[in-house]
Amino acid sequence: MKRINAAKLRSAIVRYVLLAIGTVVFTLPMLYMISTSFRPNGALYEYPPRFFPRPEALTLENYDYILHQSKFYLNFLNSVFVSVSTILIAAAVASAMAFVIGKFKNRGTKTLFAFIIITMIIPGTTMIVPQFELATKLGLVNRLWGLIPFYVAWVIPFSTFMIKGFMENIPNEIMEACWIDGADVWTVYTRVALPLASPALASVSIFNFLTAWEEYPWANTVINDTSLRTLPIAIAGFFGQHQFTQWGYVFAMSVLTLIPVVLIFIFCQKFFVQGLTAGSVKG
Amino acid sequence: MSTLRKLFAVVLACTLLLSACAALAEGETVTINFWHHYSAQSAENETLMNVLIPAFEAENPGIKVNAVSHEWAELHDKVLVSANSNALPDVARCDIAWLPEFQQMGILVALDEEMPDFTKVSGQLLDSAMSTAQIGGHYYGLALNTNSKIVFYNTAMLEAANVAVPTTMDEWVEAVKALSGENENGQQVWGWNEPALAGWNICPFIWSFGGALTNEDQTVATGYVNGPATVKAVETFAQLVQDGAITGFNSGDIPMTDGFGTGRYAMMLEGPWKSAELAGAYPDVAYGTAPIPAGEGGSVSVLGGEDIAMFNTANQEAAWKFMQFMTSEFAETEMAKCGQIPVNVAALESDTVKNADYAPFIEAIQTARARPTVAAWSEMDNGLQVALTAVVNGEKTAQEALDELAAEWDALLK
Amino acid sequence: MIQKSHLNRAQLIALLLPGFIVFGMFTVYPIVRLFWMSLCDMRFSSMLTQPFAGLMNYREVFADGTFWTVFVNSVVYTLVTVPGQMAIGLFVAVLLNGIKRFSVTFRVINYLPVVTSWVIASLVFRYIFNTEGLLNYFLWKVLGITSGNIRWLDTRWSGLTVAMILGIWKGIGWNMVIFLAALQQVPKDLYEAADIDGCGAWKKFVYVTLPGIKGTILFALIELTIGGFNVFTSIKMITGGKPAHQTDTLLTWMYYKAFSTGQFGYAAALSFVMALSLGLLAIVQFRMMRNRDA
Repeated sequence: MKRINAAKLRSAIVRYVLLAIGTVVFTLPMLYMISTSFRPNGALYEYPPRFFPRPEALTLENYDYILHQSKFYLNFLNSVFVSVSTILIAAAVASAMAFVIGKFKNRGTKTLFAFIIITMIIPGTTMIVPQFELATKLGLVNRLWGLIPFYVAWVIPFSTFMIKGFMENIPNEIMEACWIDGADVWTVYTRVALPLASPALASVSIFNFLTAWEEYPWANTVINDTSLRTLPIAIAGFFGQHQFTQWGYVFAMSVLTLIPVVLIFIFCQKFFVQGLTAGSVKG
Repeated sequence: MSTLRKLFAVVLACTLLLSACAALAEGETVTINFWHHYSAQSAENETLMNVLIPAFEAENPGIKVNAVSHEWAELHDKVLVSANSNALPDVARCDIAWLPEFQQMGILVALDEEMPDFTKVSGQLLDSAMSTAQIGGHYYGLALNTNSKIVFYNTAMLEAANVAVPTTMDEWVEAVKALSGENENGQQVWGWNEPALAGWNICPFIWSFGGALTNEDQTVATGYVNGPATVKAVETFAQLVQDGAITGFNSGDIPMTDGFGTGRYAMMLEGPWKSAELAGAYPDVAYGTAPIPAGEGGSVSVLGGEDIAMFNTANQEAAWKFMQFMTSEFAETEMAKCGQIPVNVAALESDTVKNADYAPFIEAIQTARARPTVAAWSEMDNGLQVALTAVVNGEKTAQEALDELAAEWDALLK
Repeated sequence: MIQKSHLNRAQLIALLLPGFIVFGMFTVYPIVRLFWMSLCDMRFSSMLTQPFAGLMNYREVFADGTFWTVFVNSVVYTLVTVPGQMAIGLFVAVLLNGIKRFSVTFRVINYLPVVTSWVIASLVFRYIFNTEGLLNYFLWKVLGITSGNIRWLDTRWSGLTVAMILGIWKGIGWNMVIFLAALQQVPKDLYEAADIDGCGAWKKFVYVTLPGIKGTILFALIELTIGGFNVFTSIKMITGGKPAHQTDTLLTWMYYKAFSTGQFGYAAALSFVMALSLGLLAIVQFRMMRNRDA
């Protein structure tokens, strides 16, 4: 018995040590980003380079610049508008589809579902050329809201797939009871299916939010106006001046952009894990 | 979940309300879109946003200017793409090298045909500068500013290495080598910085070495871009790169201004805007300027500059007003304060310009040459960069790479 | 099961329709259009006429030396980052599975890179790996492993290495979470049986753990393979394809051809080849999964 305990203790120590080292190495890039955002731009090429800035050289000038001189607020609002609209619309249309596909199985809905799943294997960026042409024809180029239908279309397959799993688990007895009470499809969807699937909606929405919040290639392609840029393009734009890059500004803006994401992540962890593992464990 | 939902609803409502307000406020005004490549955090951009546009809008009630800053190469690509998606701006500040290409696409307005007072307006601008906007007998833009590049050198570094400012290409090679090595921290320093391998960067060497890119008529490249003088220029440059004496065009290099300001690059070839940039970011660095060293072809720099052009989808009346404003004495004088050499004759006479010490640049412009004024230039320039990259990395000899390039260019020039 | 009389067809269709329209218009139509575009001579100069060109674009793609360079880059990127992040993610998950305290803390911290946007993460890596950057100083002057600054971002393979390290760094958290969930589903009595048989940790891992999470491994393999070929933002931000397109991947090269040179037909053909091969690859992987179930 003692021998086993000693072995267990040893194994636990090894685990904690490895995890601690790994985690430290793993977080260094982010820490370096944060520390750089508090340095004056002139100190970026100091010698020797430092991981942590000298305390007397700490400065808030980068944040001051980003918050007062740049269009950060506007970029932030743009990103919020696009992301929130995307998750609301995606939740509505995907849950409706998932409800019908999950609960009214016939050849038509099965084919539709298979079709939706197949498109998941095509990397989104490969379609950028025809999508750009489409955006042009529909007059969606250089329109902030013009991003939304594309984002919604991208997240529909994953969202439908996830929510369908939950819809299928709604007991048929409950549905039967509704039909007997004379409820129609719409009522069952809004009163029964949606509330029961709300955990799935929540985790799907978090993922969709991240997708829209960080999307770069498409927004960079169709948005021109400085005042319509979302955060990723704004950050990339700060970096783009290749003659000299003000890394302090770039990273201050990055930190401000990451704050809402990290907050959402920490407070909604449960939904994250749920969303990630739903597809994987079932196989 | 329900609080989350309420929060979403509130945020969405606010955003919608805001955009609605913005839309209402616009009212009866005309908005013209102006694309440019003044970099976003530069003094030029600040002058544009805080001085020029407010002044223009005050002068012209009913016209609003939506100025959009793009990175240089991105602006070119965005214009091409937008031409096919009906999303062109009204007006853009274009590198003089792009105009033939845009003109060939048929997206530019021939100003001398459409604007009755064109001659009056263009008469206020330098003829030599206006010639950059002339293609096939018509004018497709107004000259906005002009420039050329001269040598900037770090005085202290040249003194410490006991190197004189090079005046010939042979001296230049020796100087660049002598200035390279290590500083007291054991960090590598380079004698010369070149931030890219495009025509804008390499042409001054090719021309000063006595080489050429094409024949006079710009119809043939073989025998010119792979001629002996051009090959020698490229070989010399590549050798210095391989000796660790030139750098700057790699992704991992210190950016030009930072490297020069911190004493890691001893010399560079740059335009008039650099003085303002250095004064802002590295006010302590002491530097001097000189013309590009002379080789067998003389001291030949590259002619730069921008024209302001109108696209055929523009609101012509408002766009023309804005173009006139941007080339007016007032606007050009303001821009002259941050490194843009005016082409407005009256602005050139102003005290601002006289005090700005543009003399060395204006002198360089006298002998500077323009990059080929052909529609295919952007594509040729891409090919040139690929060829030069292969040479400086030692994958091909200069002769091999330029022979291939010449064949490629011949096809493009047809 | 559900009586026909309750099936309000109109309402069912109304529920399907909005999603169907958005999906059809913005995903399905572009796929079809992509195929058609790949058969047309579409350039900036011939945008409006779009003459049919047969397989010309495909011939151009396959005859293009740069295509093969970027193809190899994409394949190498995928072959390195997919197993890399899976192995490390699984290792971390195994470590986490055996501890009780701080498990959540470790999990949260290790997941943060996943939620960090690609633009930001790429710029951070570019800053760390630049020739005069912190990493080179650390390797050279502090550890003394190298004898000078490594030009990480300047050459083909070193530039790709940085992008691959970023890809692995950013993917570990995702793998960790899904493998952790899978590990918790492996029946405990199998481990007990293995203990009785006197199996060591490694044998238990190979004979109990791995077979128990096979489904998750395949799932991750498919997802990450698609993700590997989808690499775009990191390359654009870290090297921009430099030097001379040698670090471009399939998608950054496709994007360059389309939006910088205007050869939309070429870009469409390249995209279509890519979509098709990934589809085939995924079908093969799906088959493997189904065989396991049978």
